[in-house]
Amino acid sequence: MIREDELASAAATGNVDHVGILLQAGVDVNAVNRFGRTPLQVMMMGSTRVAQLLLKHGANPNLSDESTGDTPLHDAARGGFLDTVKMLIEFNADIRAQDYRSRRPVDLARENGHLEVVTFLESL
Amino acid sequence: MAQEAATQYERVAEIGGGAYGTVYKARDRLSGQFVALKSVRVQTDQDGLPLSTVREVALLKRLEQFDHPNVVKLMDVCATLRTDQETKVTLVFEHVDQDLKTYLEKAPSPGLPASQIQDLMRQLLCGLAFLHSNCIVHRDLKPENILVTSRGQVKLADFGLARIYSCHMALTPVVVTLWYRAPEVLLQSSYATPVDIWSTGCIFAEMFRRKPLFRGESEVDQLGKIFEVIGLPAEEDWPADVTLSQRNFGPLSHRPITDFVPEISHQGADLLLEMLTFDPLRRISALNALDHLYFQEG
Repeated sequence: MIREDELASAAATGNVDHVGILLQAGVDVNAVNRFGRTPLQVMMMGSTRVAQLLLKHGANPNLSDESTGDTPLHDAARGGFLDTVKMLIEFNADIRAQDYRSRRPVDLARENGHLEVVTFLESL
Repeated sequence: MAQEAATQYERVAEIGGGAYGTVYKARDRLSGQFVALKSVRVQTDQDGLPLSTVREVALLKRLEQFDHPNVVKLMDVCATLRTDQETKVTLVFEHVDQDLKTYLEKAPSPGLPASQIQDLMRQLLCGLAFLHSNCIVHRDLKPENILVTSRGQVKLADFGLARIYSCHMALTPVVVTLWYRAPEVLLQSSYATPVDIWSTGCIFAEMFRRKPLFRGESEVDQLGKIFEVIGLPAEEDWPADVTLSQRNFGPLSHRPITDFVPEISHQGADLLLEMLTFDPLRRISALNALDHLYFQEG
Protein backbone atom coordinates (compact mmCIF):
# COMPACT_ATOMS: atom_id res chain seq x y z
CA MET A 1 0.00 0.00 0.00
CA ILE A 2 1.35 3.42 -0.86
CA ARG A 3 1.62 5.88 1.99
CA GLU A 4 -1.28 8.05 0.84
CA ASP A 5 -3.52 4.99 0.86
CA GLU A 6 -2.21 4.05 4.26
CA LEU A 7 -3.02 7.47 5.72
CA ALA A 8 -6.53 7.43 4.25
CA SER A 9 -7.13 3.94 5.62
CA ALA A 10 -5.81 4.86 9.06
CA ALA A 11 -8.19 7.84 9.07
CA ALA A 12 -11.10 5.71 7.86
CA THR A 13 -10.58 3.21 10.66
CA GLY A 14 -10.17 5.88 13.32
CA ASN A 15 -6.63 4.82 14.10
CA VAL A 16 -5.37 8.04 15.71
CA ASP A 17 -1.90 6.73 16.54
CA HIS A 18 -1.22 5.52 13.03
CA VAL A 19 -2.52 8.77 11.52
CA GLY A 20 -0.14 10.65 13.83
CA ILE A 21 2.84 8.51 12.86
CA LEU A 22 2.21 8.89 9.14
CA LEU A 23 1.78 12.66 9.41
CA GLN A 24 5.00 12.87 11.43
CA ALA A 25 6.70 10.89 8.70
CA GLY A 26 5.73 13.58 6.25
CA VAL A 27 2.81 12.07 4.35
CA ASP A 28 0.89 14.90 2.68
CA VAL A 29 -2.38 15.42 4.56
CA ASN A 30 -4.13 16.57 1.38
CA ALA A 31 -2.86 13.88 -0.98
CA VAL A 32 -5.50 11.56 -2.39
CA ASN A 33 -5.58 7.79 -2.11
CA ARG A 34 -6.02 5.47 -5.07
CA PHE A 35 -9.74 6.21 -5.02
CA GLY A 36 -9.10 9.92 -5.39
CA ARG A 37 -10.09 10.88 -1.82
CA THR A 38 -8.21 12.71 0.91
CA PRO A 39 -7.96 11.32 4.45
CA LEU A 40 -10.43 13.92 5.79
CA GLN A 41 -13.00 12.90 3.17
CA VAL A 42 -12.90 9.24 4.19
CA MET A 43 -12.13 9.47 7.92
CA MET A 44 -14.23 7.73 10.55
CA MET A 45 -16.61 10.62 11.12
CA GLY A 46 -17.15 9.72 14.76
CA SER A 47 -13.45 10.08 15.49
CA THR A 48 -13.13 13.72 16.47
CA ARG A 49 -9.50 13.13 17.39
CA VAL A 50 -8.64 11.98 13.87
CA ALA A 51 -10.52 14.99 12.49
CA GLN A 52 -8.60 17.34 14.77
CA LEU A 53 -5.24 15.81 13.93
CA LEU A 54 -5.82 16.05 10.18
CA LEU A 55 -7.20 19.59 10.38
CA LYS A 56 -4.30 20.76 12.55
CA HIS A 57 -1.97 19.45 9.87
CA GLY A 58 -3.73 21.57 7.29
CA ALA A 59 -6.34 19.24 5.83
CA ASN A 60 -8.69 21.08 3.50
CA PRO A 61 -12.21 20.76 4.99
CA ASN A 62 -14.02 21.98 1.89
CA LEU A 63 -13.33 19.31 -0.72
CA SER A 64 -16.49 17.70 -2.00
CA ASP A 65 -17.00 14.15 -3.16
CA GLU A 66 -16.83 13.98 -6.92
CA SER A 67 -19.83 11.68 -7.27
CA THR A 68 -22.29 13.21 -4.78
CA GLY A 69 -20.93 16.62 -3.86
CA ASP A 70 -20.81 15.77 -0.15
CA THR A 71 -18.22 17.58 1.96
CA PRO A 72 -16.91 16.08 5.22
CA LEU A 73 -19.31 18.43 7.01
CA HIS A 74 -22.22 16.86 5.10
CA ASP A 75 -21.08 13.40 6.19
CA ALA A 76 -20.52 14.36 9.82
CA ALA A 77 -23.93 16.05 9.92
CA ARG A 78 -25.67 13.09 8.28
CA GLY A 79 -24.14 10.77 10.87
CA GLY A 80 -25.06 13.10 13.75
CA PHE A 81 -21.50 13.49 15.02
CA LEU A 82 -21.81 16.86 16.73
CA ASP A 83 -18.23 17.06 18.06
CA THR A 84 -16.82 16.42 14.59
CA VAL A 85 -19.23 18.97 13.09
CA LYS A 86 -17.95 21.55 15.59
CA MET A 87 -14.34 20.64 14.89
CA LEU A 88 -14.77 20.99 11.11
CA ILE A 89 -16.43 24.38 11.52
CA GLU A 90 -13.66 25.55 13.85
CA PHE A 91 -11.35 24.90 10.91
CA ASN A 92 -13.54 26.86 8.50
CA ALA A 93 -15.69 24.20 6.92
CA ASP A 94 -18.38 25.92 4.87
CA ILE A 95 -21.81 25.42 6.45
CA ARG A 96 -23.51 26.64 3.24
CA ALA A 97 -21.85 24.05 1.01
CA GLN A 98 -24.39 22.20 -1.16
CA ASP A 99 -24.26 18.68 -2.49
CA TYR A 100 -25.37 17.81 -6.03
CA ARG A 101 -28.99 17.78 -4.87
CA SER A 102 -28.66 21.24 -3.35
CA ARG A 103 -28.72 19.99 0.23
CA ARG A 104 -26.68 21.71 2.92
CA PRO A 105 -25.20 19.89 5.94
CA VAL A 106 -28.09 21.11 8.11
CA ASP A 107 -30.58 19.55 5.69
CA LEU A 108 -28.92 16.15 6.03
CA ALA A 109 -28.85 16.45 9.82
CA ARG A 110 -32.57 17.24 9.79
CA GLU A 111 -33.41 14.42 7.36
CA ASN A 112 -31.73 11.98 9.69
CA GLY A 113 -33.25 13.35 12.87
CA HIS A 114 -30.06 14.69 14.44
CA LEU A 115 -31.68 17.60 16.23
CA GLU A 116 -28.64 18.63 18.28
CA VAL A 117 -26.68 19.07 15.08
CA VAL A 118 -29.56 20.98 13.46
CA THR A 119 -29.81 23.31 16.45
CA PHE A 120 -26.09 23.88 16.47
CA LEU A 121 -25.82 24.60 12.74
CA GLU A 122 -28.81 26.92 12.84
CA SER A 123 -27.30 28.87 15.72
CA LEU A 124 -24.33 29.96 13.61
CA MET B 1 -28.54 -10.80 -6.97
CA ALA B 2 -27.97 -7.37 -8.41
CA GLN B 3 -25.19 -6.81 -10.90
CA GLU B 4 -24.77 -3.08 -10.55
CA ALA B 5 -22.49 -3.01 -7.52
CA ALA B 6 -19.70 -1.44 -9.46
CA THR B 7 -21.75 1.56 -10.46
CA GLN B 8 -24.05 2.12 -7.49
CA TYR B 9 -21.33 1.83 -4.86
CA GLU B 10 -18.15 3.76 -5.26
CA ARG B 11 -15.19 2.71 -3.14
CA VAL B 12 -13.49 5.50 -1.21
CA ALA B 13 -11.04 3.74 1.11
CA GLU B 14 -9.77 0.35 2.18
CA ILE B 15 -10.82 -0.32 5.79
CA GLY B 16 -9.90 -3.92 6.34
CA GLY B 17 -7.88 -6.62 4.79
CA GLY B 18 -6.53 -9.98 5.55
CA ALA B 19 -7.71 -13.52 5.63
CA TYR B 20 -11.26 -12.79 4.54
CA GLY B 21 -10.54 -10.57 1.59
CA THR B 22 -10.60 -6.82 1.49
CA VAL B 23 -13.21 -4.56 3.05
CA TYR B 24 -13.89 -1.13 1.61
CA LYS B 25 -15.67 1.94 2.78
CA ALA B 26 -17.80 3.00 -0.16
CA ARG B 27 -20.43 5.55 -0.96
CA ASP B 28 -23.90 4.69 -2.19
CA ARG B 29 -24.35 7.13 -5.05
CA LEU B 30 -28.13 7.03 -4.72
CA SER B 31 -28.47 7.86 -1.02
CA GLY B 32 -25.09 9.52 -0.49
CA GLN B 33 -24.58 7.30 2.55
CA PHE B 34 -21.47 5.33 3.32
CA VAL B 35 -21.62 1.53 3.16
CA ALA B 36 -19.12 -1.27 3.81
CA LEU B 37 -18.32 -3.56 0.88
CA LYS B 38 -17.04 -7.02 1.69
CA SER B 39 -16.02 -9.18 -1.19
CA VAL B 40 -15.02 -12.76 -1.40
CA ARG B 41 -13.92 -14.67 -4.48
CA VAL B 42 -15.43 -18.10 -4.75
CA GLN B 43 -14.65 -20.92 -7.14
CA THR B 44 -17.48 -21.71 -9.51
CA ASP B 45 -18.13 -24.53 -11.93
CA GLN B 46 -20.87 -25.23 -14.48
CA ASP B 47 -23.42 -25.42 -11.64
CA GLY B 48 -22.67 -21.85 -10.61
CA LEU B 49 -21.97 -20.79 -7.05
CA PRO B 50 -21.22 -23.53 -4.52
CA LEU B 51 -24.26 -24.53 -2.51
CA SER B 52 -22.58 -23.68 0.78
CA THR B 53 -22.06 -20.08 -0.32
CA VAL B 54 -25.64 -19.77 -1.49
CA ARG B 55 -26.79 -21.19 1.83
CA GLU B 56 -24.70 -18.78 3.90
CA VAL B 57 -25.85 -15.79 1.91
CA ALA B 58 -29.46 -16.96 2.23
CA LEU B 59 -29.00 -17.21 6.00
CA LEU B 60 -27.68 -13.66 6.17
CA LYS B 61 -30.58 -12.43 4.05
CA ARG B 62 -33.07 -14.24 6.25
CA LEU B 63 -31.62 -12.52 9.31
CA GLU B 64 -32.33 -9.25 7.58
CA GLN B 65 -36.07 -9.79 7.81
CA PHE B 66 -35.89 -9.49 11.60
CA ASP B 67 -34.44 -6.01 11.26
CA HIS B 68 -32.63 -6.42 14.57
CA PRO B 69 -31.56 -3.07 16.01
CA ASN B 70 -28.19 -4.37 17.22
CA VAL B 71 -26.72 -5.88 14.08
CA VAL B 72 -25.70 -4.00 10.94
CA LYS B 73 -28.06 -4.24 7.99
CA LEU B 74 -27.17 -6.31 4.97
CA MET B 75 -28.32 -3.94 2.26
CA ASP B 76 -27.42 -5.78 -0.90
CA VAL B 77 -25.65 -8.83 -2.28
CA CYS B 78 -24.00 -8.71 -5.68
CA ALA B 79 -22.37 -11.45 -7.70
CA THR B 80 -19.96 -10.60 -10.48
CA LEU B 81 -18.55 -13.24 -12.74
CA ARG B 82 -14.83 -12.72 -12.99
CA THR B 83 -13.75 -15.72 -14.98
CA ASP B 84 -15.28 -19.08 -15.84
CA GLN B 85 -13.99 -20.48 -12.60
CA GLU B 86 -14.37 -17.55 -10.29
CA THR B 87 -17.19 -15.34 -9.09
CA LYS B 88 -16.86 -12.34 -6.82
CA VAL B 89 -19.61 -12.14 -4.22
CA THR B 90 -19.94 -8.71 -2.67
CA LEU B 91 -21.95 -8.12 0.47
CA VAL B 92 -23.06 -4.55 1.02
CA PHE B 93 -23.49 -3.70 4.68
CA GLU B 94 -24.67 -0.61 6.49
CA HIS B 95 -21.65 1.41 7.62
CA VAL B 96 -21.62 3.23 10.94
CA ASP B 97 -18.85 5.79 11.15
CA GLN B 98 -17.86 5.09 14.76
CA ASP B 99 -16.65 1.96 16.51
CA LEU B 100 -16.54 1.10 20.20
CA LYS B 101 -12.78 1.67 20.27
CA THR B 102 -13.23 5.28 19.15
CA TYR B 103 -16.27 5.69 21.41
CA LEU B 104 -14.27 4.60 24.47
CA GLU B 105 -11.28 6.77 23.54
CA LYS B 106 -13.60 9.73 23.25
CA ALA B 107 -15.16 9.41 26.69
CA PRO B 108 -13.95 12.18 28.96
CA SER B 109 -12.01 11.16 32.07
CA PRO B 110 -12.70 9.12 34.21
CA GLY B 111 -14.48 7.16 31.50
CA LEU B 112 -18.03 6.12 30.70
CA PRO B 113 -20.65 6.40 33.45
CA ALA B 114 -21.79 3.04 34.88
CA SER B 115 -25.29 3.47 33.43
CA GLN B 116 -23.89 3.92 29.93
CA ILE B 117 -21.73 0.80 30.22
CA GLN B 118 -24.80 -1.13 31.33
CA ASP B 119 -26.76 0.17 28.33
CA LEU B 120 -23.97 -0.72 25.86
CA MET B 121 -23.65 -4.18 27.38
CA ARG B 122 -27.39 -4.82 27.18
CA GLN B 123 -27.42 -3.89 23.49
CA LEU B 124 -24.29 -5.91 22.75
CA LEU B 125 -25.78 -8.99 24.41
CA CYS B 126 -29.12 -8.50 22.61
CA GLY B 127 -27.33 -8.49 19.27
CA LEU B 128 -25.30 -11.51 20.25
CA ALA B 129 -28.32 -13.45 21.57
CA PHE B 130 -29.98 -12.78 18.21
CA LEU B 131 -27.00 -14.09 16.22
CA HIS B 132 -26.60 -17.10 18.49
CA SER B 133 -30.29 -18.01 18.25
CA ASN B 134 -29.73 -18.12 14.49
CA CYS B 135 -26.71 -20.36 14.91
CA ILE B 136 -24.24 -17.67 13.92
CA VAL B 137 -21.01 -17.52 15.87
CA HIS B 138 -19.27 -14.19 15.40
CA ARG B 139 -15.78 -15.56 16.24
CA ASP B 140 -13.96 -12.26 16.08
CA LEU B 141 -15.79 -9.86 18.36
CA LYS B 142 -13.63 -6.86 19.30
CA PRO B 143 -14.11 -3.12 19.87
CA GLU B 144 -13.29 -2.44 16.21
CA ASN B 145 -16.29 -4.34 14.90
CA ILE B 146 -18.79 -3.21 17.50
CA LEU B 147 -20.24 -0.07 15.98
CA VAL B 148 -21.89 2.72 17.97
CA THR B 149 -24.08 5.31 16.26
CA SER B 150 -24.11 8.94 17.32
CA ARG B 151 -27.29 8.10 19.26
CA GLY B 152 -25.45 5.41 21.23
CA GLN B 153 -27.04 2.49 19.39
CA VAL B 154 -24.82 -0.59 19.27
CA LYS B 155 -24.57 -2.58 16.04
CA LEU B 156 -22.49 -5.70 15.61
CA ALA B 157 -20.58 -5.97 12.35
CA ASP B 158 -18.43 -8.54 10.55
CA PHE B 159 -20.48 -11.56 11.62
CA GLY B 160 -21.44 -14.53 9.54
CA LEU B 161 -18.61 -14.14 7.12
CA ALA B 162 -16.12 -16.53 8.58
CA ARG B 163 -17.88 -19.60 7.24
CA ILE B 164 -18.43 -18.19 3.76
CA TYR B 165 -14.78 -17.39 3.53
CA SER B 166 -13.31 -20.43 5.15
CA CYS B 167 -15.21 -22.77 2.86
CA HIS B 168 -13.65 -21.44 -0.26
CA MET B 169 -10.27 -20.03 0.29
CA ALA B 170 -7.03 -20.88 1.89
CA LEU B 171 -6.67 -18.49 4.79
CA THR B 172 -3.71 -16.26 4.26
CA PRO B 173 -1.67 -15.77 7.40
CA VAL B 174 -2.45 -12.37 8.86
CA VAL B 175 -1.89 -10.75 12.18
CA VAL B 176 -5.13 -10.95 14.11
CA THR B 177 -5.49 -9.77 17.64
CA LEU B 178 -5.44 -12.43 20.34
CA TRP B 179 -6.72 -10.18 23.09
CA TYR B 180 -10.40 -11.15 22.88
CA ARG B 181 -9.88 -14.77 22.05
CA ALA B 182 -11.40 -17.48 24.27
CA PRO B 183 -9.10 -20.05 25.91
CA GLU B 184 -10.64 -22.91 23.90
CA VAL B 185 -9.80 -21.04 20.69
CA LEU B 186 -6.25 -20.39 21.89
CA LEU B 187 -5.99 -24.10 22.70
CA GLN B 188 -7.59 -24.98 19.35
CA SER B 189 -10.18 -27.16 20.99
CA SER B 190 -13.67 -25.80 20.13
CA TYR B 191 -15.38 -22.86 18.44
CA ALA B 192 -19.03 -22.58 19.43
CA THR B 193 -21.16 -19.65 20.64
CA PRO B 194 -19.38 -19.38 24.04
CA VAL B 195 -16.30 -17.97 22.27
CA ASP B 196 -18.28 -14.77 21.66
CA ILE B 197 -19.30 -14.52 25.32
CA TRP B 198 -15.64 -14.67 26.30
CA SER B 199 -14.85 -11.78 23.93
CA THR B 200 -17.83 -9.87 25.34
CA GLY B 201 -16.44 -10.34 28.86
CA CYS B 202 -13.08 -8.92 27.77
CA ILE B 203 -14.87 -5.96 26.20
CA PHE B 204 -17.05 -5.45 29.31
CA ALA B 205 -13.88 -5.11 31.41
CA GLU B 206 -12.36 -2.79 28.81
CA MET B 207 -15.33 -0.41 29.04
CA PHE B 208 -14.32 0.28 32.64
CA ARG B 209 -10.57 0.12 32.18
CA ARG B 210 -10.42 1.89 28.81
CA LYS B 211 -7.61 -0.44 27.92
CA PRO B 212 -7.69 -4.13 27.04
CA LEU B 213 -7.89 -6.66 29.89
CA PHE B 214 -5.54 -9.28 28.43
CA ARG B 215 -2.85 -8.03 26.08
CA GLY B 216 -0.99 -11.16 25.13
CA GLU B 217 1.75 -11.30 22.53
CA SER B 218 1.39 -14.95 21.61
CA GLU B 219 -1.12 -17.71 22.25
CA VAL B 220 0.81 -18.98 25.27
CA ASP B 221 1.37 -15.48 26.63
CA GLN B 222 -2.34 -14.72 26.15
CA LEU B 223 -3.31 -17.83 28.15
CA GLY B 224 -0.82 -16.89 30.85
CA LYS B 225 -2.37 -13.44 31.16
CA ILE B 226 -5.85 -14.96 31.36
CA PHE B 227 -4.85 -17.33 34.17
CA GLU B 228 -3.37 -14.45 36.15
CA VAL B 229 -6.92 -13.14 36.38
CA ILE B 230 -9.16 -16.21 36.48
CA GLY B 231 -6.71 -18.61 38.07
CA LEU B 232 -5.25 -21.79 36.60
CA PRO B 233 -8.01 -24.24 35.69
CA ALA B 234 -8.03 -27.61 37.40
CA GLU B 235 -6.44 -30.40 35.41
CA GLU B 236 -9.80 -32.16 34.94
CA ASP B 237 -11.22 -28.98 33.33
CA TRP B 238 -8.42 -28.85 30.78
CA PRO B 239 -9.67 -29.97 27.33
CA ALA B 240 -8.49 -33.31 26.08
CA ASP B 241 -6.65 -33.60 22.78
CA VAL B 242 -4.88 -30.28 22.89
CA THR B 243 -1.16 -29.93 22.42
CA LEU B 244 -0.57 -27.46 25.21
CA SER B 245 -0.62 -28.99 28.68
CA GLN B 246 -2.01 -27.40 31.81
CA ARG B 247 1.40 -27.99 33.39
CA ASN B 248 2.94 -25.39 31.06
CA PHE B 249 1.36 -22.79 33.31
CA GLY B 250 1.58 -21.97 36.94
CA PRO B 251 1.66 -22.32 39.74
CA LEU B 252 -0.11 -19.00 39.70
CA SER B 253 -1.53 -16.90 42.44
CA HIS B 254 -4.46 -15.08 40.95
CA ARG B 255 -5.84 -11.80 42.19
CA PRO B 256 -9.48 -10.74 42.60
CA ILE B 257 -11.12 -9.40 39.43
CA THR B 258 -11.71 -6.05 41.15
CA ASP B 259 -7.92 -5.54 41.18
CA PHE B 260 -8.12 -5.41 37.39
CA VAL B 261 -11.49 -3.69 37.07
CA PRO B 262 -11.73 -1.53 40.20
CA GLU B 263 -14.76 0.55 39.15
CA ILE B 264 -17.07 -2.40 38.52
CA SER B 265 -20.07 -3.02 40.80
CA HIS B 266 -20.55 -6.21 42.80
CA GLN B 267 -23.13 -7.59 40.35
CA GLY B 268 -21.05 -6.44 37.39
CA ALA B 269 -18.06 -8.36 38.70
CA ASP B 270 -20.22 -11.43 39.17
CA LEU B 271 -21.45 -11.26 35.56
CA LEU B 272 -17.92 -10.63 34.29
CA LEU B 273 -16.65 -13.77 36.00
CA GLU B 274 -19.55 -15.77 34.55
CA MET B 275 -18.43 -14.60 31.12
CA LEU B 276 -14.76 -15.28 31.78
CA THR B 277 -15.40 -18.88 32.81
CA PHE B 278 -12.72 -21.20 31.45
CA ASP B 279 -15.02 -24.09 30.59
CA PRO B 280 -17.12 -23.03 27.56
CA LEU B 281 -19.94 -25.35 28.65
CA ARG B 282 -20.25 -23.61 32.00
CA ARG B 283 -19.84 -20.10 30.61
CA ILE B 284 -23.03 -18.01 30.76
CA SER B 285 -25.06 -17.67 27.53
CA ALA B 286 -26.07 -14.34 25.99
CA LEU B 287 -29.72 -14.87 26.94
CA ASN B 288 -28.93 -15.78 30.55
CA ALA B 289 -26.51 -12.87 30.80
CA LEU B 290 -29.37 -10.52 29.90
CA ASP B 291 -31.30 -11.90 32.88
CA HIS B 292 -28.42 -11.30 35.26
CA LEU B 293 -29.05 -9.05 38.27
CA TYR B 294 -26.42 -6.64 36.92
CA PHE B 295 -29.02 -5.37 34.45
CA GLN B 296 -31.44 -4.57 37.27
CA GLU B 297 -29.02 -2.18 38.92
CA GLY B 298 -30.00 1.37 38.31
